[in-house]
Amino acid sequence: MTQKIVKAIGWVTILLATFFCIAQTTVSAQAKTYQIGTDVTYPPFEFANKQNKYVGIDIDIMNAIAKEEGFKVNIKPVGFNAAVQSVQSGQLDGVIAGMTITPDRKAKFDFGTPYFRTGVVMAVGKNSNIKGFNQLRGKRVALKTGTAAADYANSIKKKYGFKTVTFDDSNNMYEDVTTGNSVACFEDKPVMQYGIKQGLKLKIVTAPANTGWYGFAVKKGQNKELREKFNTGLKKIQTNGTYDKIVGKYLGTKTNPKVKGKTFTIGTDVTFPPFEFANKHNKYVGIDMDLIRAIANEQGFKVKIKPVGFNAAVQSLESGQIDGVISGMSITNARKAQFDFSKPYFTSGVVMAISKNSKITKLSQLKGKRVAIKTGTSAADYANSIKKKYGFHTVTFDDSNNMYQDVTTGNSVACFEDHPVMKYAIKQGTKLKIVTKPAESAPYGFAVKKGHNQALLAAFNTGLADLKASGTYDNIKATYLGTDDKGSVNKTAANDSGDRSFIGLIKQNQGALLSGLKETMWLTIVSIFFATVFGIIVGLLGVVPSKFGNGVSSVLIYIFRGMPLLVLALFIYTGIPSLTGQKIPAFIAGVVTLTFNEGAYIAAFVKGGINAVDPGQMEAARSLGLPFGKSMRRVILPQGIRIMVPSFINQFIITLKDTSILSIIGLMELTQTGKIIIARNLEGFKVWTIVAIMYLVIITLLTWLSNWVQRRIKV
Amino acid sequence: MSEKLRVTNLVKTFGTNNVLKGINLTVNENEVVVIIGPSGSGKSTLLRALNRLEEPTSGSIVIDNVDIASKEIDIDTVRENIGMVFQHFNLFNNLSVGENIMLAPVELKKESKDQAAQQAKQLLKTVGLEEKFNATVQSLSGGQQQRVAIARALAMDPDIMLFDEPTSALDPEMVGDVLAVMKDLARKGMTMVVVTHEMGFAKEVADRVVFVDDGQILEQGTPDQMFEHPKNERLQDFLNKILNV
Ligand SMILES: Nc1ncnc2c1ncn2[C@@H]1O[C@H](COP(=O)(O)OP(=O)(O)OP(=O)(O)O)[C@@H](O)[C@H]1O
Ligand SMILES: [Mg+2]
Repeated sequence: MTQKIVKAIGWVTILLATFFCIAQTTVSAQAKTYQIGTDVTYPPFEFANKQNKYVGIDIDIMNAIAKEEGFKVNIKPVGFNAAVQSVQSGQLDGVIAGMTITPDRKAKFDFGTPYFRTGVVMAVGKNSNIKGFNQLRGKRVALKTGTAAADYANSIKKKYGFKTVTFDDSNNMYEDVTTGNSVACFEDKPVMQYGIKQGLKLKIVTAPANTGWYGFAVKKGQNKELREKFNTGLKKIQTNGTYDKIVGKYLGTKTNPKVKGKTFTIGTDVTFPPFEFANKHNKYVGIDMDLIRAIANEQGFKVKIKPVGFNAAVQSLESGQIDGVISGMSITNARKAQFDFSKPYFTSGVVMAISKNSKITKLSQLKGKRVAIKTGTSAADYANSIKKKYGFHTVTFDDSNNMYQDVTTGNSVACFEDHPVMKYAIKQGTKLKIVTKPAESAPYGFAVKKGHNQALLAAFNTGLADLKASGTYDNIKATYLGTDDKGSVNKTAANDSGDRSFIGLIKQNQGALLSGLKETMWLTIVSIFFATVFGIIVGLLGVVPSKFGNGVSSVLIYIFRGMPLLVLALFIYTGIPSLTGQKIPAFIAGVVTLTFNEGAYIAAFVKGGINAVDPGQMEAARSLGLPFGKSMRRVILPQGIRIMVPSFINQFIITLKDTSILSIIGLMELTQTGKIIIARNLEGFKVWTIVAIMYLVIITLLTWLSNWVQRRIKV
Repeated sequence: MSEKLRVTNLVKTFGTNNVLKGINLTVNENEVVVIIGPSGSGKSTLLRALNRLEEPTSGSIVIDNVDIASKEIDIDTVRENIGMVFQHFNLFNNLSVGENIMLAPVELKKESKDQAAQQAKQLLKTVGLEEKFNATVQSLSGGQQQRVAIARALAMDPDIMLFDEPTSALDPEMVGDVLAVMKDLARKGMTMVVVTHEMGFAKEVADRVVFVDDGQILEQGTPDQMFEHPKNERLQDFLNKILNV
């Protein structure tokens, strides 16, 4: 008896062992197949097409994710209730069936990232004038029994005073509206959209109400791996556009027709990590960047990110050069006068940071000391508001790095910064420490010019609400700030690992530096050309025997030579569009700026060069009967040009150097490139050295070229 | 003796400074007129008004029966017939000696380069500098430069030559060469108006000497009348000063 038992156990063991081996080999040899349950028919999410093949948004999304993540699915259209129960009993691995995420269901299932937003909409006949619920009073409305839409309609029936008529299936309900018996019907938005796409003569007139999200579900505590694969796969197909294609296939194109397909130019700061900064591929990332892109994606518009710097972005927005600004911009009353803000999307707080080995811990220790702040930030506003009370004085910087630097070098004893920004910078190696608790500060908002781009603003708000509901918003935040309270920063997000030697830095940033150099060269060449033409014309105008011409020349030289290049650049880039309403591309604005400024200098020395020629030369030429123009050309200019050549060479070199100032209007030339690289890796000394050497090299080349030309002229 | 040039009531003011106060002067064909007078008296201004390098304030300047002070006439064509030689030569520094002389004929008379060069060499020969055709202006002495300047003025084949102190910027040993060229020109019958302090030249070559003081012509006459029997007291003072230095 015992022998038998032992034998039986032995057999069972062998069998089990074999089973496991086989099971193991199958798992490792080929991808696992998951059993997924779905509804029998719930268009457009799942239904059998004419070839009796199961299709629909759910089916296509599931298949696309499986393909992306390298696993197999066997989708079983067992019906909604059966599917849900089979997952509970463990017969199926997951369910995707237009299943709304509810607290009740969350108790029994683990949901993946919400993949589809739904809500109840009202539809009316194509030619109907009805636009809202308040036009329903006393009218008849069609409903379908037992649907969430019917529940919703019944809940507002009293308030708006309409009557309802109930149908057993959707088609009859639609028909009742198209024939005019009922004035409207209530339906789930995607279902309604699909019906309209299929040819129903109805139109949707209200925004989705009672909104909720569909989620993919597995049994609570089970199939964690499948759920995670679903989530990563979903993120991938959402970013690579597959998701949009699938949804578009069944529902027609995107959801927000007012912004759909449009491209908006969005200004942002050059460097305000973790909100915006260039990663090592020189792509702009950060909370703001990911957020605006995700919203654009969700709402079906496109964004063109312009990292022009905070102040330039705000000014460009005011002048209408750009459509919106997302730049860690605090919503303040002063700004509200100028801009329309979205709902707040981030609340931070201002902290004080000091050098690692400083002993200051309290605001009261700042008395008589110097404190660094960054222009236009809420942290600066905060610092200024307490400045009197604590008796410190402030020094202002245009970007964060310079501000930190001022504290680490000891020039300033402390700086004020938004909490997440400071935390992030410290994680990245800035040698500072935070010594105060975050103080209240205004929340961040997305801004458009007051009264302009309202569709974009509305799209931002809807998109933001959607992303918050779907958890995408939290994911974005977590990517940069971590999920735990201590706020550990996700290293992979931006940390520029690898070689920090000169060679290493050059290798990593080769592409960016070269394209910056190229932009600088282009700017220089094009600007020198136009500045020379402009300068010679204005200079000659200054020596012709015409009082009017002389006057025009003097005034032009006076204005453009007298204006600081920076002011001129900002005036042309942001001022002119404010006056004319016409946008100017940054490159053109840059060329125009340099043409006027450098051209004015050229005009001045052209005039001076001509005047430096002995007036007797002109008299002698004129006394022979040569007209003014001929005398100029044959006698005066050849002598004047020799006097001017050194000034020309000088001016060309100055022009090349002055292109760096145009980084203020966001041109990605060499200096701006340097700023951006440093914003990422904080290797200020090394990167500026590299940039400086690059400038010196091209200036040397330009000087050689000029000297060669000069020698040729001299002969 | 036909009249070549008649200046009537010529007035020139610079701002409030009345430099020429009503000049009346006639120059006949082939006549050599020498203008003398103290510094700042308006001699250069008068001379430069004759080809309108200085725009007259009022009055008329009639050359060959044409009032060149009138706004309607094309002054450039008028100037082609009036050569001018300056105190400081004013040769074109960017051109060679030959090119200095050729420039106007090529540009204005549309002569070919060869023709112009031919003529330039001829003119250089008459001023004694035929070997300097290819020289740079900077390599010449002052006297040589002034002779090239005369050749340049002659290249347009003018009827009248104006000289404004052509020798006063020269070292004494070079004055002779330039004066020789001018005497030669006078002998060939050129109508000349010469501002100079070279009294020897005036005595020898001038048909008439004109004394200008304070923007007015105070006395004029033959060299003999002017130098030996000056009537005007100011002229007597002036002559005393320069002859007894
Ligand atoms: N372009 C001018 N603007 C203002 N005043 C002038 C100008 N040219 C000459 N003058 C003035 O006119 C007056 C006469 O000058 P002008 O040169 O004709 O004298 P000049 O007799 O030639 O003297 P010099 O013997 O010294 O050459 C002087 O007082 C001079 O300052
Ligand atoms: Mg004079």
